[in-house]
Amino acid sequence: MTAFPKVERDASSAAFFEAAARGELLVRRGSSGTVLPPEARTDPVDGSSDLVDVSASGEGTLVSWAVVHRAPVPALADAVPYVSAVVELAEGPWLIVRLVGDTDSLHVGEAVEIRFVSSGGPDDPGETLPVFAPVARA
Amino acid sequence: MTGAAIAGLGLTEMGKVYGRSSTSLAAEAVRTAVADAGLTLTDVDGLLVSSGIRQDVGVGLAAVLGMHDLSLLNQVNAFGATAGVMVAQAAQAVAAGAATTVVCVFADSPLRPKESSGASYGSPGRSSGGRSGPARGLAGWSLASGAINPNILYALCARRHMERYGTTSEQLAQIAVAQRAWAAGNPLAQLRDPITVADHQASRWIAEPLHLLDCCLVSNGAVAVVVTSAERAAGLAQPAVHVRGYGQAHAPRRMHAGSDWGLVTPAARSGPQAMAMAGIGIGDVDVAEIYDCYTYTVLVTLEDYGFCAKGEGGAFVADGRLAPGGALACNTGGGQLSSYYMWGFTPLSEAVVQARGAGGARQAPRHDMVLVSGNGGILEHHSTLVLSPHRGGSRP
Repeated sequence: MTAFPKVERDASSAAFFEAAARGELLVRRGSSGTVLPPEARTDPVDGSSDLVDVSASGEGTLVSWAVVHRAPVPALADAVPYVSAVVELAEGPWLIVRLVGDTDSLHVGEAVEIRFVSSGGPDDPGETLPVFAPVARA
Repeated sequence: MTGAAIAGLGLTEMGKVYGRSSTSLAAEAVRTAVADAGLTLTDVDGLLVSSGIRQDVGVGLAAVLGMHDLSLLNQVNAFGATAGVMVAQAAQAVAAGAATTVVCVFADSPLRPKESSGASYGSPGRSSGGRSGPARGLAGWSLASGAINPNILYALCARRHMERYGTTSEQLAQIAVAQRAWAAGNPLAQLRDPITVADHQASRWIAEPLHLLDCCLVSNGAVAVVVTSAERAAGLAQPAVHVRGYGQAHAPRRMHAGSDWGLVTPAARSGPQAMAMAGIGIGDVDVAEIYDCYTYTVLVTLEDYGFCAKGEGGAFVADGRLAPGGALACNTGGGQLSSYYMWGFTPLSEAVVQARGAGGARQAPRHDMVLVSGNGGILEHHSTLVLSPHRGGSRP
């Protein structure tokens, strides 16, 4: 068991996990120029489904967070307590992500940055996952 | 003014009711509601069905009940907003002449013996959760975020409000404490022992900032209401509860800079629609039956309806305002937090009881205008009803 349950790619997520493995966060950009989360299917600004992959900077700010004490599913039983967060990427989209690192005394608007972690255990590794962490405070 | 009225109400036992299917519970609630109205099943020509966590009751209920000549039959799903959507749909069908007498029913049976509420809520197909092998694709990434059930997602919303407006956990506790006090007067309530703010604060964290006592129950049971014309309702067995207005609004969350997700809900549009149809303002509401999957849902809905200004919900609910004897009779049966969790049929059923003046020990002294809310998704879907014992005017 592990803090990050094993995740496997499927056909539609192969590019996302390929990018994560090389330390890159892949998001989507609509024809209006709006940058959207990875799971987006439609650009809400113009209704277009014509989205392309773009690499995000990995810089963001904290919108909200919750400290999870009760695992929502058995696969996360070894992870609690953990922090889930809404992060606003510098490019605009919000992602719901795991927050790692120093999560004491968080506050809205503080700077966060991307990290990459391995899913699954050492004997049974899965895909690399993008997570976020507060930028080190002085 | 819609011309429709609720003429019958049927509830089964609530809570740890084991050994019965959702369909069996639904059938009982329909029969009880129809009998309550002084009708028989052969008088019913419309049936709208809503299932809950288990998603295991549907249009097949009509055959179970021997309803072989219906003009309207549908399964309705707008998540927690469904009850108000169903009553509005029934009222529209009655007004259009598409049906004369429509039963709306909800049933669910997620609780199993020796299984926790959380496990019941989480179990049927919500997320792969690793039970049947690794999670796949972006859904797997989402699973790893850990924010995969309503407890956690509502905690994210409550946190936003706390950070923006200074709302506190103790203020949320006031909602739970007030509703438990109301539940003491409700024989069907699952939890009737009084609680204090200190009890709330001492209850374990589920997803911080939400404690256990911020979260609703999980229940087995069923509720049905009979919707017909005001004219027909006037001659039936129970005092008519007029559907004076309805509204709905849906805003799947926008995950982008500038989004007000979690801070403002579609209640802000649904409520004014319903009140405009009813010809009332928020100051005319005597009883508010507010969907309360979490204490925070009550607080943000009260703000969005205009009972207080945005951001002032914390101060508004303090000092026992929502408790028995307080300035606003709210969730008078104990709500989903303390009575039973039948999605939007929890506030709807209690609203019918209150509008009839049949609340007994928990009856609100004034009940001329009763507001009912339904909330679904993660503060993304909303329905509102205005119910009244009076067909016209705001007072007898």
